[in-house]
Amino acid sequence: MHLVMRSARSVVSPRLGCSIVTLATVLLLWYAVTGLTGMVSAARLPSPLDVWQALVQVTVEGYADGRLDQHIVQSVKLVLYGFLTATVSGVPLGLWMGQSRRAQAFLNPIFIMLRPIPPLAWIPLAIVWLGLGDAAKVMVIWFAAFVPSVINSFAGVRNLDPSLIEAAEMLGLRRSQFVREVMIPGALPMIFTGLRLSLQASWTTLVAGELIGAVRGLGHLLTQGSLDIFPAMIVVAMLTVALCGWLMTVLLGLIERRSMPWRPSR
Amino acid sequence: MKLPMKLHHIARSEMDPVSIVRQTDAAHAAHRRRLARKSASEARGGVTRRSTLWALSAAGLITFFGIWWLAAAAQLIPAMFLPTPLAVAQRFVDLLTHPFVGFTLEQHLWSSLQRYLMGVLLAMAVGVPLGLMMGWFRWLDYIVSPLFETLRFIAPIAWVPFAALWFGTSVGGPVLIIFAGAFPPCVVNAYRGAKQVDERLLEAARMLGLSNRMIVCEVLLPGALPAVVAGLRVAAGLGWMSLVGAELIVASSGIGYMMVKGQAAVDTATVMSAMIAIGMVGAVIDLLLGRTEAFAMRHRRRARQ
Amino acid sequence: MSVIRFDDVSRVFSHDRSGVVALDHVSLEIADREFVAIVGPSGCGKTTCLRLVAGLEFPSSGTVSVDGRKVMWPGPDRAVVFQQFALFPWKTVYENIELGLRARGMAAGKRREVIERYMDLMNLCGHEQAYPHQLSGGMQQRVAIARAYALAPGVLLMDEPFGALDAQTRVVMQEELVRVTRANPRTVLFITHAVEESVYLADRVVVMTSRPGRVKEIIDVRPVREANRWDQYKRIEDVMDLESFVRLRTHIWKSLRDERSGAEREVERVSA
Repeated sequence: MHLVMRSARSVVSPRLGCSIVTLATVLLLWYAVTGLTGMVSAARLPSPLDVWQALVQVTVEGYADGRLDQHIVQSVKLVLYGFLTATVSGVPLGLWMGQSRRAQAFLNPIFIMLRPIPPLAWIPLAIVWLGLGDAAKVMVIWFAAFVPSVINSFAGVRNLDPSLIEAAEMLGLRRSQFVREVMIPGALPMIFTGLRLSLQASWTTLVAGELIGAVRGLGHLLTQGSLDIFPAMIVVAMLTVALCGWLMTVLLGLIERRSMPWRPSR
Repeated sequence: MKLPMKLHHIARSEMDPVSIVRQTDAAHAAHRRRLARKSASEARGGVTRRSTLWALSAAGLITFFGIWWLAAAAQLIPAMFLPTPLAVAQRFVDLLTHPFVGFTLEQHLWSSLQRYLMGVLLAMAVGVPLGLMMGWFRWLDYIVSPLFETLRFIAPIAWVPFAALWFGTSVGGPVLIIFAGAFPPCVVNAYRGAKQVDERLLEAARMLGLSNRMIVCEVLLPGALPAVVAGLRVAAGLGWMSLVGAELIVASSGIGYMMVKGQAAVDTATVMSAMIAIGMVGAVIDLLLGRTEAFAMRHRRRARQ
Repeated sequence: MSVIRFDDVSRVFSHDRSGVVALDHVSLEIADREFVAIVGPSGCGKTTCLRLVAGLEFPSSGTVSVDGRKVMWPGPDRAVVFQQFALFPWKTVYENIELGLRARGMAAGKRREVIERYMDLMNLCGHEQAYPHQLSGGMQQRVAIARAYALAPGVLLMDEPFGALDAQTRVVMQEELVRVTRANPRTVLFITHAVEESVYLADRVVVMTSRPGRVKEIIDVRPVREANRWDQYKRIEDVMDLESFVRLRTHIWKSLRDERSGAEREVERVSA
């Protein structure tokens, strides 16, 4: 027994081992409280078995006008539209504002005015303007992702080590060279911080938008489950949202590490 | 002291870039950023004169409102969808006295604030001690972390169906969602604060023979304070955002509810007024907490200089 | 190659209400291929002198000129070696040295030749593909010096270049710098607060007063060095043992000591 334990410990780090044990315990407790003893009624908290059954149902047969993969594709599609357009428009704008005092002076007041308004607060306005379809959702996602991209790219430029800027001046770099070789690589860490925040905001906004009105998608799955009082399905939808969000963040992290090979790995 | 990868990652991404910019701007004040050649006198005077910058800011605001007003007044977009800035302002003032869907603007705001405060204070009261203890006691960290990490990625808004299921339209629903939004930053930043306490201060405390209770009160808590306060600020902001989201769906009063009803009636001016109110309150909350943060950090800033 | 000239230069920083006088009517001339070190207490304005020549700051009155031309902006003709290295973290050693040459439009083949020559000179061979964070402080500063040298500048400006290094590395770098500058003499302006370093490296040492900075005295080291043939000794500790060295060092040390107590009194007054 000792030998087994010792070799197991060398393979599995204590933290990972604890995580597995904890999650397994929670799972068991959950099952005990709901399915096994019925202490908490199924209408309030579904048992793990119910959740599993709901998952199978939505993956194979479909629920709320679509199978799980169709819902995922719909949601991911909208997030990508909003996120990518916001990034492509926001990062260059932020970089420009960072290196030009005039651009910053001109655009900053507008940002100061619009920034306190939470992205979710734009949803009713977007619906008034663009109806209940995809366009309104993409617009709000765009806004939610745009602001962090701009602000963080801007901060990235301003955060540049002044001695690096002086070294660049000393070397006699032209402006285009400076932007390409010094400013952008230097701002890249904060640009990626902005991208991470934008992605988070995109997901939150997408779910909110789909909760309010959609014909397909993970948010719609949540709503339908809620209307049908099908808590197991609600849990499936919630976990799927979490999983998709997590996967996209991990992907972004990979891209980040790849594009900055000079950073010491933490 | 190294944080486990995940939480460190998140704590870092919740920095407020605007405050970073303010600090580095002050540091950059003496440096030019332009590389274009210029005369020595111009360089001596700085890149652009301050008055020019102020003028540009004013120009920016004027352009923004100008375009808005033109588009609305010239009926490029029908008045139903885009009221003029003046119309919105009028509606805002109007809402302060005349009720809309049951209450006036302040009454809706007050109703929202009550829920908000309940949710945020609950999140702080539970989250900060939890985060601190997770930082100080590794066993607790090992137990709670995996659960926390799994649930953290669920957008607060996704709790709405359960909120509706468990609390109906009572106050519990929005409070749950606000809690879900404000709780993670409290925990994460308190955790970071607890980990950040300088090892050397702890060693000095032990050398001085302080009791455990004294170490907690005199060293650990003050050491963790800056990060905790920063976390409270982020939590307050996220909580306010979650409130708006919650009230769009599960409420019968409040500023978000007002917006939804305004949207249903295609009363754009009301929707915009509500947005302005939300923005203003959000800005005030952030301002107050920014002051609190600066106050809590006042000793540290001097030490850094 | 160049002559640096300070003509009655003053530099005043206006913070808040009062103006801080960093430099007070400084006049100085540095001849072609001369190695001049400026020593002084903290805050005496020695770094400001360097930055004025570099074109990173501008005098409030008077002129700073190089080769007869007034200094207007920074450029590769006055290469700077910064105290904190200022290497671009996202570029390899090779790319860091290459950047200035690329800005000038040098052809790729010629660049490689130049870079390899200076990497060899600074003992950096084998580290072309390393990133700055992978190198020690001493290595990074070697890259910074190679980068400056590769620009073939008329003037080399070194701002406390060994200040961020530990004592042993400092000594090695000092010996290397002597080797390199005796072999390829250039006009060098070297800022330091370490007296021994200045006497070991320089042809002339300028002692500055504490704020407001003025030239207190200029010591001619070169005649003493050549008369006592310091260069025959390869190791720094052998040179520092010589009586002629010790005498010079003590003289400058005493000169600075008066300034230092003046500076301390100033700090007390400001913080009171």
